[in-house]
Amino acid sequence: MSEKIERVVKEQAATWSSVKRPNAAGEEFAAGLGGVQRGFEKRRGELAFEDEPSSFEAALQETKERNP
Amino acid sequence: MKKPRQAPSPLTQLTLVEACDGVAKGEISSVDLTKAALSAFDAGDKAINSAIALDRDEALAAAEGLDKLRKAGRTLGCLHGVPLAHKDMYYRAGKPCTCGSKIRKDFRPTYTATAIERLEQAGSVTLGTLNMAEFAQNPTGHNAHFGHCRNPWGLDYCTGGSSSGSGAAVAARFIYGALGSDTGGSIRLPASICGVTGIKATQTRVSRHGAMPLSFSADNVGPLARTARDCARLLRVIAGHDPADPTSSSEPVPDYEAALDGEIRGMVIGIPTNFFFDGADPEVQQAFDVAMRVLEARGARTVKLAIPHMDAINTYVSVISRVEGATIHAEWMRGRPQDYAIHLSGRLYAGYGIPAVHYLEALSRRGPILRALGREVFGKVDVFATPTLRLKVPTLAATDIDAGTAGAVEAFNAVSINTRAINYMGLPSVSIPCGFDSNGLPIGVQIQGRPFGEGRILRMADAYQRDTDWHKRRPNFAAG
Repeated sequence: MSEKIERVVKEQAATWSSVKRPNAAGEEFAAGLGGVQRGFEKRRGELAFEDEPSSFEAALQETKERNP
Repeated sequence: MKKPRQAPSPLTQLTLVEACDGVAKGEISSVDLTKAALSAFDAGDKAINSAIALDRDEALAAAEGLDKLRKAGRTLGCLHGVPLAHKDMYYRAGKPCTCGSKIRKDFRPTYTATAIERLEQAGSVTLGTLNMAEFAQNPTGHNAHFGHCRNPWGLDYCTGGSSSGSGAAVAARFIYGALGSDTGGSIRLPASICGVTGIKATQTRVSRHGAMPLSFSADNVGPLARTARDCARLLRVIAGHDPADPTSSSEPVPDYEAALDGEIRGMVIGIPTNFFFDGADPEVQQAFDVAMRVLEARGARTVKLAIPHMDAINTYVSVISRVEGATIHAEWMRGRPQDYAIHLSGRLYAGYGIPAVHYLEALSRRGPILRALGREVFGKVDVFATPTLRLKVPTLAATDIDAGTAGAVEAFNAVSINTRAINYMGLPSVSIPCGFDSNGLPIGVQIQGRPFGEGRILRMADAYQRDTDWHKRRPNFAAG
């Protein structure tokens, strides 16, 4: 990412949610999203067209303990 | 000068199941148990700060009623007459529920949490509410509004969070068991750090109706108590479908306690070769290794294996609770951000910078990743085990973001690194004590099973506790 993530967070929080940076710790937590963003870059190509959040409940059933 | 506490009542040294059995046999009264618990709080909680509010008169009146009922030959259930206290995020109609916050200090819900109702219907006495991280949002136990909860094993050390009061009050022998909640480790961390037992069940296993929300995709209601058997009894009472929580599973609830026979011969325990031991403290590693030898001596087999998709899991888990928490708190973050502790408003703030497409990707990959775990892990082993906390228990000072301590954010985030990934997987996980570090603070091991495999992990935890006494050791702290 070319832009500093702290600035992106600040703009997104203000634009979409009208939330302002509350303190210096907020800056530090925002900076921590840099690693998360890089993690998502590495994940590109893994999400399948049919994947959706509700598949999690189905997976709980499919993988469950059969002899609890 | 700190003064020694009054000698605790022998009644407070019982486990929850022993206390229940004593009442059932007529050997102990509920009033005696309730008075003993209240006296224990009075004698020791000035130092520990585990309680937010105790409902003394109401609890004693309830205990008297339960004793009369038992004398008349009736009992309500398997918790008849035993006092419990709970993390202050479980709604009770008309009662204050602070959620550990300034913002909700005057909040009085109009309905009662299903988990509380089920515990009381089984005969428990609700003694009051326990300290917690503000809005259940930190893994350390700091609380700027009600004071930090203190670890009975070392008052300068973290209790673990967010169910800080639940872990500390059970460890200090103030109470027999307590509800906590677990979104990223908030039951297992205080259980491990305070030297007690705690279980986070399968996602959807326990109703969340009336539990303060933090992250609806990852929140779990569950118990902390002294032993695996205690937790088995409490979990059986609270688990199962609840029409008031449509996300709760209709999977039948087995009698977990009946299956605790110490028999684990032939069970296979996976020990991860990736992620969970990276940078582990040698003392933690050694305690974990010895714990595995104990289980092997009972007939279990350990095998090393890689847990798939850990990089993806760690990426995804870090956005789900942040985005959901930021959503829930948006109105207050706009209108009164100064009323949060610094670490909490700072943490919530970052959540507003995560794009929705990434949040939905994180949720959408959860099913496929769980299926991969089913094949690649549970196709080979029955459970897998890791240290609950990779590092030695940190001090409150070292993790105090609000005080501006250098490195505190990093230290704070490191506390839950082994637990939060399990919430993304949705697996049941129990933490049990397995030793002490050189500072005298507890070390814990967490055991994960297949979805709805709570019975299996409790069986293994109970088997371990048959051969060890870590869970029986009592902290000896000054009264303050």
